Amino acid sequence: MRTVTKAFLRYLPRRRSLSLLQLLGIACGVAAAVGMAYSARASLSSFAQAVEFLKGRATHSMERPAGPMEESFLPQLMRDPAVEAFSPVIDRRLRLKDGEVVRFLGVDPFLDQAFRPEITRAQLSARTFPNPAKALPFLLEERSILVDAHLAQQLGLTPGDHLMTSRGDLRIVGTFPNPSGEPLVLMDIANAQKLFELPRQFDRVDLILAEDAAFRSRWAVGFRLQSSLQRRASLSDMLQAFRLNLQALSLLALFVGVFLIYNTAMFAVVSRRKDAGILRSLGAKRGEILLAFLAELLLLGALGGVLGGLLGFFLSHFLTTLMADTISNLYFFLRPTPLDWSWWVLLISVLLGCGASLLGGIFPLLELVRVDPVQALQGRTGSRRARVSAIKAAIAGLGIMALSLALLALPSAHVYVGFASAFGLLIGASLISGITLILFGPFLQRGFHRLHGLPGKMAAGNIRQNLGRTAVGVAAFMVALAMAIGLGTMIGSFRQSLVWWMETQLQADLYVGKILEFEVPESFYEELRSLSGIGGVDPYRNVQIEYQQTPIYVSAVDAAVLQKYTHFGWLKGGNENWEPVKKGAVIVSESFSRRFGVHAGDRITLGGIHGSAQLAVAAVFYDYTSEHGVVMMDRATYLKIFGDRTINSLGIFVDARDPLRQQILEEVQRKAQDRGLPVLTRHQLWGNILAVFDSTFAVTRSMRVLAILAAFFGIAGALLTLFMERQREFGIYRALGFSARQVAGMTLMEGLGMGLVSLLLSTGLGTALAFLLIRVINLRSFNWTIFYFPSWDPYLLAVVTAILASLGAAAYPIWKVYRTYPQIQIREE
Amino acid sequence: MQPIIRVVDVWKEYSKDGQNGSAALRGANLEIAAGEVVAIYGKSGSGKTTLLNLLAGLDRPTNGRVEVEGQDLESLGEEGRTHLRRERLGFVFQFFNLLPTLTAFENVFLSLELTGKPNPVAAHRALQAVGLEGKEGRFPHELSGGEQQRVAIARALVKEPAIILADEPTGNLDTRTGDQVLDLLASHCRRFGTTLIVATHSPLTCQFTDRVLRMMDGLVTEEKTAPEKLS
Repeated sequence: MRTVTKAFLRYLPRRRSLSLLQLLGIACGVAAAVGMAYSARASLSSFAQAVEFLKGRATHSMERPAGPMEESFLPQLMRDPAVEAFSPVIDRRLRLKDGEVVRFLGVDPFLDQAFRPEITRAQLSARTFPNPAKALPFLLEERSILVDAHLAQQLGLTPGDHLMTSRGDLRIVGTFPNPSGEPLVLMDIANAQKLFELPRQFDRVDLILAEDAAFRSRWAVGFRLQSSLQRRASLSDMLQAFRLNLQALSLLALFVGVFLIYNTAMFAVVSRRKDAGILRSLGAKRGEILLAFLAELLLLGALGGVLGGLLGFFLSHFLTTLMADTISNLYFFLRPTPLDWSWWVLLISVLLGCGASLLGGIFPLLELVRVDPVQALQGRTGSRRARVSAIKAAIAGLGIMALSLALLALPSAHVYVGFASAFGLLIGASLISGITLILFGPFLQRGFHRLHGLPGKMAAGNIRQNLGRTAVGVAAFMVALAMAIGLGTMIGSFRQSLVWWMETQLQADLYVGKILEFEVPESFYEELRSLSGIGGVDPYRNVQIEYQQTPIYVSAVDAAVLQKYTHFGWLKGGNENWEPVKKGAVIVSESFSRRFGVHAGDRITLGGIHGSAQLAVAAVFYDYTSEHGVVMMDRATYLKIFGDRTINSLGIFVDARDPLRQQILEEVQRKAQDRGLPVLTRHQLWGNILAVFDSTFAVTRSMRVLAILAAFFGIAGALLTLFMERQREFGIYRALGFSARQVAGMTLMEGLGMGLVSLLLSTGLGTALAFLLIRVINLRSFNWTIFYFPSWDPYLLAVVTAILASLGAAAYPIWKVYRTYPQIQIREE
Repeated sequence: MQPIIRVVDVWKEYSKDGQNGSAALRGANLEIAAGEVVAIYGKSGSGKTTLLNLLAGLDRPTNGRVEVEGQDLESLGEEGRTHLRRERLGFVFQFFNLLPTLTAFENVFLSLELTGKPNPVAAHRALQAVGLEGKEGRFPHELSGGEQQRVAIARALVKEPAIILADEPTGNLDTRTGDQVLDLLASHCRRFGTTLIVATHSPLTCQFTDRVLRMMDGLVTEEKTAPEKLS
């Protein structure tokens, strides 16, 4: 039915403003989903490439359970019949002077040829070194490095230049190709040992093994052996919770997009109702009307998809950078590069836009084909019918919300159930927007009458009378505001929980060293311990190990010092929990406890340098260091099990009442700086941690902004449709003597009224969502408790957003009123 | 000969909130022969539009039977009624009800497309017959009220229906234009033997018809008074 389809499609260019709003709404939803998915893919792709590249041809890697390895066992390793090749590696991070962090590898260029020939070839090839003798500086000069070609180009450096780093200037003697995209710096391993103060030590040995099982049995005690696949899986596992939450955010963004499309489709249904009636009276079948409307939906969906795909691609570049920081800060070093443009992005975006259009348009489609032609022809919008529909929708909505809440009551429900509940709550709440407008109608009328007299009263009446448009616009805006409140409250509560945690655990006056970048020499630790006036020095070590084939963290501390100077957040008991730790027991973080079902009084087994060690669990403490779990022990216990004397940082405690306190702290700072070690005060450390936290949630905040933007287009679309559908009505106003100002005021009140109802609904929904995120989703994703810290901020922000968005949404219709009102007459189309 | 339209004891009631409401038709009965030009005359709210909607199969009676061309509309089912409107009925409305995004030509052509015989020449001829040659490319908002109604008439006539239902076709037009439109309709129907049923509250409209049926309080009675004396 070409003419019928033509009749519907021509509405799009005819109502350009509305079509544009609808298009932008769809585009926002698609952009958010595509941007998030594409950037996640970029991160994972970079991760896979980096792992592959760095692994080279290694079949296995071997390391100590914790801490660096010694060279002394290498001869024995060399003689093992299963070992075809081996290469000791130092794998660290290096901070450049501009703040960027790059990966640093220290390798033996001769042994490493079997593993990473592309790199070692570059070290020793005639191309990089036209004169082979020039290869010698790389081996012999202590501070000479090779830099990957892309990084060199990025920094504008060539061989002969110096790379300024936190460990001093390093001379670039050559470059090498690096297909992984991850910035990489290479140094001869002997020079690297000097640079990182690892005398006769390295981080791991990469191996090419002829066979696996026998080798494992020979090296079972005191070593951790992982095949390349295991290592990759282990790294991938670490990202699991993070990926899950990213997926949820994408889905949430798409949900808002689908909702908007539903919004869009409902507007179209309302304005096509009369046309549908005419067509039915002329003998058109329901199917023909459905197909015509479907064509319109799919066209909008396709165009919105294209636009959203393009926006999403650009957004993914921004999000990839954010994700890179988050992953690197929280999990492991990763520098993903944004993916290149691919036409698949457009294709998938179009499919997404069309799919979302179909999903969002199902109910409106059914509504349209079931339209009563008699009512439609008479122009009756069926307000009673709308009321009945609103009641039915509310009943369905309450049912969905009840089901969603019931799901949460399941004790062992997976985190997906939490997400499903959240979506259920949003959908259910959306369905009660109509009845809310009906119930709130009288209050709005009284209020607006006081505010703006008769036009105000009429505005409230219009909102109620045009439920088909206003309810959907309100629902979309409510969902976006609720998401903003829920996410804002969750982030705020998490931040406050983090502050509380820092106040309980991070109580040192100074922190010397920087985890993953600087280690503190044990001699300095001893020196500070003996310094007069020092209350206590906590030698902190944090290392990733495997527990039940899952990555966790082990922390070594001075239990006596922490008992004296800190007040850990214990799930049960108080600082008396340190007593057994001083005697060899351990304490575990809440994440560890929930993840592995370990409680106070249980025993755990860790693989140490001398084999398995059974340890009693003294207590469980609240901790946000890692969602994978932390096992904390006294340094003496750590040394006994792992033999690793590395110290990542020192916590310096000085008695608050000591009159020489300030001088003591200054002396410690001076001594540390003399050794080139970074020093932070307690508050500086807290600030850094909070900065990492804030950057971690940058992605979430971006999605929040997009969702609000998408919903703004929804409410703007509702207002514009209301304006466009009521031209005849405006003619009547004019005939009755209403001024343009009064009609503009009415339009403004309609916008504010919808915004107000959205806001009121969103406060309840947003609070419920916050609880869900805090008590269920976060807990089941990350296994840690976030305490609910109520704050006015998210609600105030929602109020401001609602007011500004309502005003903004009303701006264009108001402008149209002033532009067209004087000419409007009562006319039939 | 079998009447083309037969209405037997038809009731149409509208319930309000589940309780007994008003009845637009209270046991209406009528028969119309093929080719007749009939006016259904009554005040606003007397049930004229309701009756036309029932005849078109757009609405269903609460009680009674409506037969068109010997077929009980109820037994036809929705598909059958749609087919009837498509092939055998033409509808002309008071407020024209043209599709605003289609040109005059396209609005007329739509009728033919629906019957499965998309003949552009026929559409052009129909517009020519109503005096709109040269205005095929105009959209409804670019036409006067009278011109829009002519398009609506062309849309109804183009498919050569057996019956045309016209609901207050001149209600939105000035007297002169209204007369022209009625003359056009009635003369065409007489020429081609098309049954024409015009719902109207205007006695002047009745002068164009062969027969007047009065609607009052939901009942239909044969009007004996001369059209010019109706009030």
